[in-house]
Amino acid sequence: MRALPELFDARVKARSIAYLFATGAALGLLTVAVPHMSEVNDLALVLLALGALAISAIVWVSRDRIRDWHIHAVLLGGTVIVSLANYYAGPTTLYPVLYMWAALYAFYFFRLAEALGHMAFVAISYAVVLAVQDPESAVVRWLLAVGTPLVIGLLISRMLRFISGLLGRLSERAQRLVESEARTRMVLDTAPDAFITLDRHGVIRSWNAAAQRLFGWGAAEAIGKTMRALIVPPEFGDRHDERRNALIASESPLATERFEVEFQRRDGSRFPGQATVSKVDIQGEVFVSGFITDATERLRQQAEREALLREQAARAEAERVAELVAGLQALVDAALAHRTLDGMLRELVTQVRGVLDADAATIYIADESEQLSVGSSAPGDITGGDEFANTVAETRQAMLAQGDPRTERGGLVGVPLLAEGEVTGVLVACATPPREFGGEDLTLLRLAAERVGLAIAHARVYEREHRIAETLQRSLLPDRLPELPGLDVAARYLPAASEAEVGGDWYDVLPIGGGAVGLVMGDVAGKGLAGASMVGRLRSALRAYALEGHDGARVVERLNRLLWTEAEANPMATMLYVIVDPAANAVRWVNAGHPAPLMITGGEPTFLEGAASVPLGVLPFPTYEEASARMDPGSTLLLYTDGLVERPGENIDDGMGQLAARVREAPEDPDALCDHLLATLVPAGGATDDVALLTLRNLPVPDHFTAEFPAEPESLAPMRSMLRRWLGHAGAGEIEIAEITTACGEAATNAIEHAGMRADTRFEVSGSRTGGEVEIAVRDHGSWREERPGDHGRGLDLMRTLMDTVAVEPGPRGTTVSLRRALGGNGGPIDGRPG
Amino acid sequence: MDDLVEVQIEQREGDGVVVARLTGELDISGADSTGQRIADAVPSSARGVVVDMSELEFIDSSGVSMLFSLARRVGSRRQELRVVAPDGQPVARVLDIVEFDKAAPVHADVDSAVAEIV
Repeated sequence: MRALPELFDARVKARSIAYLFATGAALGLLTVAVPHMSEVNDLALVLLALGALAISAIVWVSRDRIRDWHIHAVLLGGTVIVSLANYYAGPTTLYPVLYMWAALYAFYFFRLAEALGHMAFVAISYAVVLAVQDPESAVVRWLLAVGTPLVIGLLISRMLRFISGLLGRLSERAQRLVESEARTRMVLDTAPDAFITLDRHGVIRSWNAAAQRLFGWGAAEAIGKTMRALIVPPEFGDRHDERRNALIASESPLATERFEVEFQRRDGSRFPGQATVSKVDIQGEVFVSGFITDATERLRQQAEREALLREQAARAEAERVAELVAGLQALVDAALAHRTLDGMLRELVTQVRGVLDADAATIYIADESEQLSVGSSAPGDITGGDEFANTVAETRQAMLAQGDPRTERGGLVGVPLLAEGEVTGVLVACATPPREFGGEDLTLLRLAAERVGLAIAHARVYEREHRIAETLQRSLLPDRLPELPGLDVAARYLPAASEAEVGGDWYDVLPIGGGAVGLVMGDVAGKGLAGASMVGRLRSALRAYALEGHDGARVVERLNRLLWTEAEANPMATMLYVIVDPAANAVRWVNAGHPAPLMITGGEPTFLEGAASVPLGVLPFPTYEEASARMDPGSTLLLYTDGLVERPGENIDDGMGQLAARVREAPEDPDALCDHLLATLVPAGGATDDVALLTLRNLPVPDHFTAEFPAEPESLAPMRSMLRRWLGHAGAGEIEIAEITTACGEAATNAIEHAGMRADTRFEVSGSRTGGEVEIAVRDHGSWREERPGDHGRGLDLMRTLMDTVAVEPGPRGTTVSLRRALGGNGGPIDGRPG
Repeated sequence: MDDLVEVQIEQREGDGVVVARLTGELDISGADSTGQRIADAVPSSARGVVVDMSELEFIDSSGVSMLFSLARRVGSRRQELRVVAPDGQPVARVLDIVEFDKAAPVHADVDSAVAEIV
């Protein structure tokens, strides 16, 4: 016999042997339980049965992990148990039958050699039992007990194996058939194409899922109806029948035809379909079956392919253009990123020149009357470009010139820039032979022009409004700051770089009497023209209120009232109103929602945070209060708008910190301070918002001073102001200040008169304090005259009366009048205010 | 600072007195024109003129000269000049030094000055 292949896996064998042991154990227990002969050792049998049961359980539990050699070992163990049972049950027992079970198992599950091996072990172990138990009839019983299981086991188990193999193959085949049918149906149903079978009369006999999807009819609805009635457009009905009949009548048994024809869906819509139809002969009956696909997409793709093929000749050229276009895209984007029209045009011509490999490129810009003028050129103007540009503008066509008309190439290329139907400009480029422009260059420029035309138009509108707003804005700012004695003032206004963001910031400096000066810094919420005009109203209102003599808080309250009653929507403004009183070395301020002013004393900046209230125009009756601080000589006050400290994406506190840091490193001079702050805080491309800056320095009053004035009557008042301040600082009292000033005024008046009508002469005033005495010298470049006409010496009288000593020193190059007076302390020192 | 000194003229209907109120600072830059303005404002029918300097912050010898010549012009027309300069103010101090009261009386307030003319 040949070895059979392994039919069973270990799990099946394990399960079977577990059953075998369990059944054997049950049988053993049963034999003990029923009445039986007394020589049987019941206890031993019960123990053996329980042992077999335990083995059964172990095998069952571990059946998934069991190996073949485990099974062999268990079966050998079973043989031992059966043999022991035979021994304990005595010579009359029928337990040898159990060997049969082992034999059946071994022959069924194992290879023949292995099964015979087990039988050999059975034979030996039973021979041992018999030899011990019943030597007389041992041979006969052995032969019966071993021979019967051997023969029957062989026969039955091999037969079982054959039967089970047969059954397995049969069921496998049936399974395969079922699967195959399902697969076919599935294939047809999941086929992307409709599959339809017709009988010879055109009646639908099969209809797959794709057909349902394609035509909208379900299989149940379609089958039994004629295809012509269901999905063939009426006008093609006859053609359909003819074609089917022709196919059926054809000689070939497997005739196939492909054609394209229009079909009709359930909803009445039509589509071009492609059908592949075959004649099928099934047991003498003729059918027509076919696949139908929706050819719409395929036809479209085909059309596209054809179009592409048509363009293939142009493709090589197009690729070059594509490359250029990519470059151009970048250049246009770069150009459009420019904030100003000029910057944009400049960038554009430079890039166009590079991309086209042109000698020069020029953009012409049309004004309102469509007159062209050069907007920007790189590197210079194009010869004959103006004329050509005009032609392009007139025809509104992209064109080539200065070439051979046959080649359709030329040394000049021009395209109109259009926006909303208007010619906003012309873009022209030129090249020298052998470089010539062709159709691709024309295409390229046209592409650029499309994007640029509108952008230029927008930029021009913005620029115009920007310009108007900026002009208006500037007209509202003081064009010259007043000269204030003892104070140095500087201001800057930097309009926003972008579009129409300009307007809204304003500042003002106004002397308000008594030597005090009002500083204003404000920011109106509106931008552009609206913002600038609001600034105009606020500015004149503030000047009026301030000069009426209202205190700071009242002035701001009135401005708020003005804004609150404005009919316009959202007329909101922040504002800072600061009153500097240099004589008192003090500053008072009212803050309506504005960034705090910065006081710089000894180089160290401090934000004046007090008196902060709401912006103007927010509440009908807000409370505004004045706060005050000391402002020593040498201190500087800085007012600014948020444009200086606010940058997109940055915390305003960071901006304030930045400002303080920049102030620390900045020079003290107001002009230099402004320049330094603008240079370090405003981004290179310009601010996104307006920036206004106003600085005022309370000039330090030194022990010694020298000042020069033009020799004209108008110099007298500033000289007196300066002198009063210095005298106050030097510790003079109110009356002393008035009297010394009067005396010095006389000396200065003399100096001015000595200069006569000579232009550009100056006189010098110097002062010094030594201990409790001040000495003031007035030096001129003329000759001393004792008396002025009609003066009767009153000037000199005044000087002599008011001063302790008056010395006149005439010299060859001028006269010096020295005035001395000891200070008597009839007033406070520094805080003393001149009358 | 445009005009350092400002002149306000008041023609008093009832008593024929012209009151010229000076504010600001009076020095050589404004003395002549101020004198001219006052003289021009005084009609020959007026009985007198009062120069009110109670709010004038400063005067120098040019201003004083202007006052002296104004006194002469007014006197020559048989009209009276009175000036107002409260004591303790810089202007009064200057007028005191140059002995202006020899040319025209100095009063402490406008009412007493007008009353003297009337």
